[in-house]
Amino acid sequence: MGEIEVRLTINGKTKVLKTKPARTLLSVLHDDLKLTSVKEGCGQGDCGTCIVIMDELAVNSCLVLAGQADGKEIITLEGLAQNGDLHPLQQHFIEQWAFQCGYCTPGMLMSCYALLLHNPDPDIEEIREAIEGNLCRCTNYRGVIEAVLKAAADLNSISQSKRRKNA
Amino acid sequence: MPDLDVVGKHAVSVGSRDIVTGRAKYTPDLSFPGMLVGRLLYTAHPHARIIKLDVSKARSLPGVVSVLTHQDIPGENSYNLIETDQPILVEDIARFQGDVLAAVAAEDEDAAQAALDAIEVEYEPLPGIFDPVEAMKPGAPKLWPDRDNVYDRLLLEYGDVDAGFKEADIIIDNTYATQLIEHAFLEPEGAVARVEDNGVVVVYAGCQAPFHDRQQIARSLAVPENMVRVIVPYIGGAFGGKWEIHVQIYTALLAQATGRPVRLIRTREESILTHVKRHPVTIRYRTGAKKDGVLTAIQVEAIGDTGPYVNAGALVMDVVATHSFGPYVVPNAHLVAYTVLTNNPIAGAMRGFGMLQAHLACERQMDELAKALGIDPLEIRLRNGLDAGREIPTGVSILNGDSMKACLKEASQLSGWEKRGQEECQPAHHLRHGWGVGTILNGFGMGHNAPDSAGIQVDMALDGSVIVRTGAVDYGQGLHTILAQLTAESLGVPLSSVKIVRPDTDMTSDAGATIAARQSFVSGNAALRAVEPIRRSLLETAEELTGIPREMLALREGALFAEGERLSFTTRDLATKAWEKNRQLCSMGYYGVKYPDGIFSESSYANAGGYFTFSTEIAKVLVDIETGEVIVEELVIVTNAGKVLNPRGAQGQIEGGALMGCGCALMEELIVDQGRTLNTSLASYLIPTSSDVPMMKIKFLESPEPEGPYGARGMGETGIIHTPAAILNAVSDAIGVSLNTLPITPERVYKALEANEKGLGE
Repeated sequence: MGEIEVRLTINGKTKVLKTKPARTLLSVLHDDLKLTSVKEGCGQGDCGTCIVIMDELAVNSCLVLAGQADGKEIITLEGLAQNGDLHPLQQHFIEQWAFQCGYCTPGMLMSCYALLLHNPDPDIEEIREAIEGNLCRCTNYRGVIEAVLKAAADLNSISQSKRRKNA
Repeated sequence: MPDLDVVGKHAVSVGSRDIVTGRAKYTPDLSFPGMLVGRLLYTAHPHARIIKLDVSKARSLPGVVSVLTHQDIPGENSYNLIETDQPILVEDIARFQGDVLAAVAAEDEDAAQAALDAIEVEYEPLPGIFDPVEAMKPGAPKLWPDRDNVYDRLLLEYGDVDAGFKEADIIIDNTYATQLIEHAFLEPEGAVARVEDNGVVVVYAGCQAPFHDRQQIARSLAVPENMVRVIVPYIGGAFGGKWEIHVQIYTALLAQATGRPVRLIRTREESILTHVKRHPVTIRYRTGAKKDGVLTAIQVEAIGDTGPYVNAGALVMDVVATHSFGPYVVPNAHLVAYTVLTNNPIAGAMRGFGMLQAHLACERQMDELAKALGIDPLEIRLRNGLDAGREIPTGVSILNGDSMKACLKEASQLSGWEKRGQEECQPAHHLRHGWGVGTILNGFGMGHNAPDSAGIQVDMALDGSVIVRTGAVDYGQGLHTILAQLTAESLGVPLSSVKIVRPDTDMTSDAGATIAARQSFVSGNAALRAVEPIRRSLLETAEELTGIPREMLALREGALFAEGERLSFTTRDLATKAWEKNRQLCSMGYYGVKYPDGIFSESSYANAGGYFTFSTEIAKVLVDIETGEVIVEELVIVTNAGKVLNPRGAQGQIEGGALMGCGCALMEELIVDQGRTLNTSLASYLIPTSSDVPMMKIKFLESPEPEGPYGARGMGETGIIHTPAAILNAVSDAIGVSLNTLPITPERVYKALEANEKGLGE
């Protein structure tokens, strides 16, 4: 089987790689690029553990063929912390015990990140809806919801103070 | 207990930074140079004789490095928990859908799949046994030539049950049924194995019992146990389903055969098809009581379908037996519990372990009794509830039995039970409110006749930082955080100074399995013993340095205190000085469970437990009588687990357990037809999502357990145990029709209402 060439921008860096056309984005990220935050939970788009951001949308990377991701901008959990500083979502996930075993956490965080990209001030129902495709078998999702509310508040106060400075 | 700095205080979980940054490595994230892909060939029939198994074509394919059958196992071709009755690779007869015929190692996924496709198998399908009641009948076809279909018949007799029923004014007789449940941990089972230069086979696997795994791997490789090393990375959930070994032996065999690292991860479908499940149990329950609701006798017959291999099946049924009478004073009791072998999926350990099934029957029955006598459901429970030191039918006196009533009363208050029925009873013409209670005793630990111990190692470095090496697995419950908290508190160092070394059978000591809500208690106590010599060294040194008697000294916050005042010496000073003086800074702690004197009578049930956590749950539901849909509005839970060591962690255990219990109550069921599971994906086996979560009000009563670390009891299973019972009681209350079968699907509710209407019409 021939290989195809795929150009991806991952966490801000552009990579060109060769892969069999039937491979999934999940397998390319996890196995070839060793971005092991991207977890396989079912391989069928049912559980959300492999969710990454592709062109600002949360997608199950097990349902995206590598070729479909050609030219796209991908963000994985590895790209969330900046220079060792945790993103507010990450900080509040820790404080709120938004996980137990942590296997769903990377996908969960990416869904929450995508939510805040498009809706900086979500209410509880919007958060619930945003993470409906992220199964967690350990918690009751309360910690996740609280963490998102707190992270949104943090981010909004940061952007407000930035606006004040610019004004 | 005054002035605790770390224990009982908010603490973030050990490893949480690794988890939120994606650096935490789980088994599927491990890779080694030259690593092969492992895959397994499962039987095509749940019960069949293997006539032919030819792997020669598969072996000759490009990219295929090894194909193993039963002939290629150097040691024993069997494994399992209670008995080693499950073949690693089937030689003659496959007895359930998850039996494995061959193991493949190949250069990549495609080659591995090609190898599986090229293996030639001829089966002679055999008639299956799929109904445990049929399997128990005399003359039923036998699953094993040398074994009865009834593997085990447990008998528990207490008092005089016939006399008790004669004395009764009322007898309630019902049959309850629970369903086959999937753990659905988010990380499917997997393992990576490699052989080191010195011949040691290293196996990385998310598991609950690394030392038991080591024993079983060594047995099949025919090597001494110390030539196998099991390392436990981060684990994506377990809930009992990773207690028994899963694919570790296959990867070890393949690594040994090929000399190369092998990674074998089950697909979600394979995971659902193969690992053990929660037992479906049918319980016939007869209750005798006086007019005032006081119990006179209980008779129980429980049948558990355990599949073809015993696994933990008989232990689960043991726990059904010991928890069937609930937290009540039962003067006369008679129970028979059958562990029945069939060709269905194997049932074994799952959070709640028989306690969930037993309490479902017990608590439903209590409500039926209350309804028949016109007594309030909480009142009838209080009238029959345990007191401190009361004996239950297992012949065990429960010293903290009074906490049953304390939980019940507190839950009643917190839920506003008094106002029950005053809410707008029909918020719409098709909606009905219902309230239900589930109150439980939750035995934790292995029971008084089973091994129950843990070792742990603690080292203090000269700067006062601490290493704790534990062989006890934390698969998310927060055990390692608790061990770090206990160590930090006792040595008077900040939590951030304690590092946990995760289980590794070469580096850490055997702590037994992480099951039965035992580890905080057992490993926690071991940690407290381990730190004692180090603490003594520091205090002896401090006494020498300050001239203040050690009774007046305290270690806190990384410093030395005398009568509440901080002195200039830090833990670093004390550790360095102690080392110079040849004082011990490394230590091993061991704890074997001890029970209070006299709690077991001479006639105690063989596997009775001795330690109990009590808890009460009240569920408020809304039922749509037109569609049968159930909405759980609120769950109120009051638990007395002794001292709460980590508030967030404890809350997480109860909430997470309760949500898993909602799944069990309302939506989850593996559908098995002729030994084949039909719903093998997370799209067809639904578990609760973020939109299925009721409001939860959780409260802890903290009367301490004298033997527990800082007064703690086990509580990892508590939340799930009473949830199905409370919800089923609430739905029955809402619709005025008795429901006795899980899960309470809309269809089931609707049919019950329809049948009831027809019954009324006749």
